[in-house]
This record gives sequence, structure tokens and C-alpha cells, in this order.
Amino acid sequence: MSAKQRLAQVVGTAAVGALALGLTACSGGDSGGDDLTTIGFVAVGPEGAWREANETNIQDTFTEEAGYELKYAPATNLDQKSQIDAFTSFVDEGVDVILLSATEATGWEDSLQRAQEAEIPVILLDRGIEPDDTDLYVTRIAPDNIEVSTAVADWAVSAFPDGANYFVLEGPAGVSVVNERNEGFDAVAGAQPSLVKVGAQTANWSTEEAKSVVETVLKSNDNDVQFIFAQNDEMGLGAVQAVQEAGLTPGVDVKIATIDGTKNALGALAAGELSFVAEYNPLFGETALDVVEKVLAGDEVESSIVVPSATFDSPEAAETALPDRKF
Amino acid sequence: MSANAHGPSEALKGLVRRQYFWGIVAIALLLLVNLIKDPGYLAVSIGSSGNLVGNVIDILRAAAPIILIAVGMCLVVATGGIDLSVGSVMVVAGAVSMEFLKGAPDTVGSGLAAIGLVVVVSAALGAVNGALVSVVGLQPFISTLVIMLAGRGLAKVITGGQNTSATNETFRWIANGYVLGLPVVFLLALLLAVAMGLLVRRSALGLMLEAIGMDAKAARLAGVNRRALLFTVYILGGVLAGFAGVFATASVMTVDVSRTGYQLELDAILAVVIGGTSLAGGKFNITGAVVGAILIATLDKTVVFLGVSSSATPAFKAVVIVVLCLLQSERVRRMFRQRRAAGAARPAEREVVAA
Repeated sequence: MSAKQRLAQVVGTAAVGALALGLTACSGGDSGGDDLTTIGFVAVGPEGAWREANETNIQDTFTEEAGYELKYAPATNLDQKSQIDAFTSFVDEGVDVILLSATEATGWEDSLQRAQEAEIPVILLDRGIEPDDTDLYVTRIAPDNIEVSTAVADWAVSAFPDGANYFVLEGPAGVSVVNERNEGFDAVAGAQPSLVKVGAQTANWSTEEAKSVVETVLKSNDNDVQFIFAQNDEMGLGAVQAVQEAGLTPGVDVKIATIDGTKNALGALAAGELSFVAEYNPLFGETALDVVEKVLAGDEVESSIVVPSATFDSPEAAETALPDRKF
Repeated sequence: MSANAHGPSEALKGLVRRQYFWGIVAIALLLLVNLIKDPGYLAVSIGSSGNLVGNVIDILRAAAPIILIAVGMCLVVATGGIDLSVGSVMVVAGAVSMEFLKGAPDTVGSGLAAIGLVVVVSAALGAVNGALVSVVGLQPFISTLVIMLAGRGLAKVITGGQNTSATNETFRWIANGYVLGLPVVFLLALLLAVAMGLLVRRSALGLMLEAIGMDAKAARLAGVNRRALLFTVYILGGVLAGFAGVFATASVMTVDVSRTGYQLELDAILAVVIGGTSLAGGKFNITGAVVGAILIATLDKTVVFLGVSSSATPAFKAVVIVVLCLLQSERVRRMFRQRRAAGAARPAEREVVAA
């Protein structure tokens, strides 16, 4: 065996091992019953608590008891190519419906056209596509980022009647979620002259980076920041720690609002460290099931379905919601 | 007497000739930019709890994990290798410690036990790298790439795919505590870096590593035990990355399986290169790597302090780094010198002709 072959073999084995490690959490329905409806789920895969709750919920909804066989295909390392491959093989296989959570918005036209030619309905979950050609898919089911971030801004306006200096912790630049959350928030907060934006910076959805960013922001503004809007829970929790370390009291000196509504964030809200949590509801398996049944029966559905999301603005509200929080 | 007068200036000249001198210049310039924005930037005051508080202290604290992975990377690069797995080793270390502390009582003992566990696990991952490189004879790039991919998967398996938090005062103290008014993380990182520096430069170890990096065959013929040394270097790199992972997670007591240590191998490589270590191997400079790490931390903090928008941040960083690399490049510097020399020479020539 040549060295090259051996290298290829070892790398191959290792890559398979790595994949196996990454995917142990995913279960694939492999018993193909005859009268089951097959659903191909082109998913995002491991990304964080929100995604996990969302995809587990979908998998728990389309069960064999409900009459479905769900084929779960998560992307490898959030790579769009692996998603397109999975999508194409679902089309070739001739599944009944395809659910798609695209890792990237662009570049789906060809794949969606193939599905259309094969007469396989495609339902977008959470993530939209660009350009948003509604002829290419049946419907998009997702919570509305703009609506959710508007709720945060509305709360900020009412919580700071005398005005405040605020800072925004963003996700990675250029991601559609970030743009939409900025758009909704800025539309309301930007129109309020008493709310002064002292800056915005990405902390890449990370607690650790958010702590480091807020630590510096507080110093560069001489602690004169009364409100921090974190675009996800993790960053909000990092901001809490930075505020505490600067000798200030989160919830009193600096109010922090976050989006997502994970267990950890509601815990912090119950403890008074966060002041407002807007949920971005991942649990829409039931809605998806409903839509799939309608589509298979040949009924018309709206081209966009907004999943309702709750908001939590007090420790009491958080405490009530905490016991049966799924994510 | 003349020797006395020569001493400091010679030392200064030596420093200027070092590649990491430009790193120091860059740090100074970045600090200066911040100082222009806010004249109080460099001020260090004594906080409420008797510790030093200030932007510079924040920079030192942010630099600590990068210093560790950069020092580890430096040694690996000296042997002509590269370690792409440091970021993933960090997240595994974080996952192991958080998962352990979640179920452990909040005592000094369990904090130390978590660190012990991290050392064992990260050394094991380093050993896998070492084995793939030295025994199997794979390219370091590929071997460590495998651990880089598998490591993050492993961290997800350990934590069940969730970001995991825990509470332990001892563990938290490592990243947030102070000794003599200075942050513990920075002192620990400096201590480990100095210890590594003494270990490799006061013994023949450093020379042997460089020998492997220059010409592995010649080194073997000269009696250098290549296999054992590569093992040692990758294990050291792994353990240092493990400590970096402890620093990163202890700071917020949360391991973020998709973000902790993400792409930090690139920061480490950058720090090493800024410090004057050649990626071709055969030459390394630990002081330089530390300077490089501090530069990266300064750059990160400057971006936030100046309020550079998130979309412009990567470009801002890239410009600083490209300019720095150009300044370091011998060829570019020679070009500048020739130009200046030519500019100075031309009028002289004309005079000669006129005469």
C-alpha cells in the first residue's frame, strides 16, 4: 500500500469518526414502512440550544405514530454544499415533502426548481431564502425577527421614560437574523430621541466575547450606559457578568434585554439580572405538521406563516414559565 | 566606562533588529490611537476591592489565553509542524471542566480536580496529535486538522450539545481573581510562558527542536530523538491549549460548544508569525509569540474602544496586520532604504558631474 493510499485511508476513517462523534445525537428513522409519508428534513444541525430545541421538536412531531417517516439530514459544519447534496438526494429518492432550514439564504434556485419539476412540495422552516421567490416553495414557517426585536424596543421606550444611553451586542455581521433584529429595533428605538445609541459591536453570539466587549464599552463610556440590547441570550448573560465586574448592578444601574428565551436567560431574568427577554419561539412542530397535512391534501396555505412568540418582562413572568421550559 | 555606555544602546539596537520589535511598535501605536480618543485610556486606578482597574489590565487579561496557545504553537512550529487543534482542545477542556463542576460541590478541591482533569484530557489529545505526526508519520497539518474537527464534536458529545454553565469559586477566581492587584490569568500565563522559555532555552531542548525543523534527517543522524521530542512538543501544546480553555471558560463559567476557542488557532499562528517565528520551522522566538499575543488582544480591545462597526472590524484588523507584516519584511525595508539612499545620492552625483 502506498503512503498516499494509507494517508487517504486514515484521513477517511478519522473524518468518519469525527462525523459519527458530531452526529450521535441525531437519530435517523431507518425502518421504512409502506404506508408512511416520507419527509426529508434538510436541517442546520448542531448550532446551539435554540436550534437543538427546534430540530428535536420537529423530529418529535413527525413520528411514525403520526404516520410519518422523517429523514433527518443535518449540515456538516453549517456548510451549504452538504445541504444541497442532501436536498438533491431527497429529490432523487422521491420523498413526499421536503422541509428546509437553509444555512445560507442564497443559491437555492436550482435545487428548488428540481424539486418543483419532481412535484415535491418544499416548506421552509425558520430560515428564508434570497431572492425570496415564493413560487419556488409552498410556505415559510418562522417566528418574525422584526416583530420580536420591535417588542424589545417597545419595552425599552416604556422602561426609560427619561431616556437612556444604550449599546447593542450584535451577532456576526451580515447574517440575516442580525440585520432583521437591528431593523426592528432601530425602527422604534431610533425614532426615540431620548434613547441615545453609544455604539454597537459584534460578540459573535458568544458569552465570553460579550463580556469582553461590554467590559471595554463601559470603560470607554465611563459607565454611562443604562441599557444593553443583546441580540441573543448568551451575549446577554456575558453582559451581566461584565456589568457586575464593573461594580454596577445589572437590572438597576444597567438594564439588559435579550432575544431567544432559553432556560438560562429566564433563570437570569427570575434572578433580576436580566430585565427583559423576548422569546424567539423554536417550537413550531405542530404548525409544520398542520401545514404538511394541508399541503398533502391539496389545500392552499399562506406563503408566510409567523410563529407567535411570547415576551417576559418581570422576574415573576420568568418564574412562571421556567418549570416547563423546553430549551 | 565605554562598555557601560555601549551596554544599553547595544541592547536597544539588538531589540530593533528583532522582528517582534515591530510588534511592540504596533502595540504602542494602537495604545496611542486609543489615547488620542480618550486621554484617560492608559489610566490605571485602584478599584473598590483594592485591585488595579483599567483598560490596560483588560488587555492583559484578554491576552492570557492567546499567550498560552501562541507559546505552544511556537514550539510546534519550530519543529516544522503546525497545530490546528488548539481551539478545539480549548473547547474540550472547557466542556470537561464545566461538565465536571456542574455536578461537583463548590469547593477548592473540585476546582483543582477540574484543572487536573483538563490537564489529563488535553495531554491525551496532544498525544494523539504527537502519535499521528511522529509514529504514523502524517503531515502535521492533516493530523491536527483531524483533532480540530473531532475535538469540537467531542465537546458537543460531552455536554450533550448544550452550552453548559457551572459554579465554582476557585475555578472562577483563575480568570477573574487578582493577586497583588494584577489579574491571576495574566500572571499564570506569563509564568507558564517564562517557564517554557527557560525550559527550552536553558537546555538543549530548543536547539534540538530547531534541528528537527531545519532538517529532520540530519537531526536524526546527529542523534536527536525525533519521535520523543515531537511527542513532547505536541503534548505541551495540548496542555497549554487546555489551560487556555480553562481561562476562556472560567471567565464566564460557561462553555459555548460552538464558540469557545473558535478559530483561535488562527490567532495563535498570527501571534507566532508576528513574533518572528518562521512557519517553515527551524527557528522560534517565545518572547516574540508573547508580544504577538498581546498585540492581538490590544487590537481586539481597540476595535471595541474606538467603536469600529462590526462590519468594518475584520477589514480594520486586516489592514493593521498587513501593514505590520510589510514593516517586518526585510525586502520591503530594503526597498525603502534603497529609495532613501538613491534620493540622497542623486544630487551628489549631479554635483560631481557639474564639477
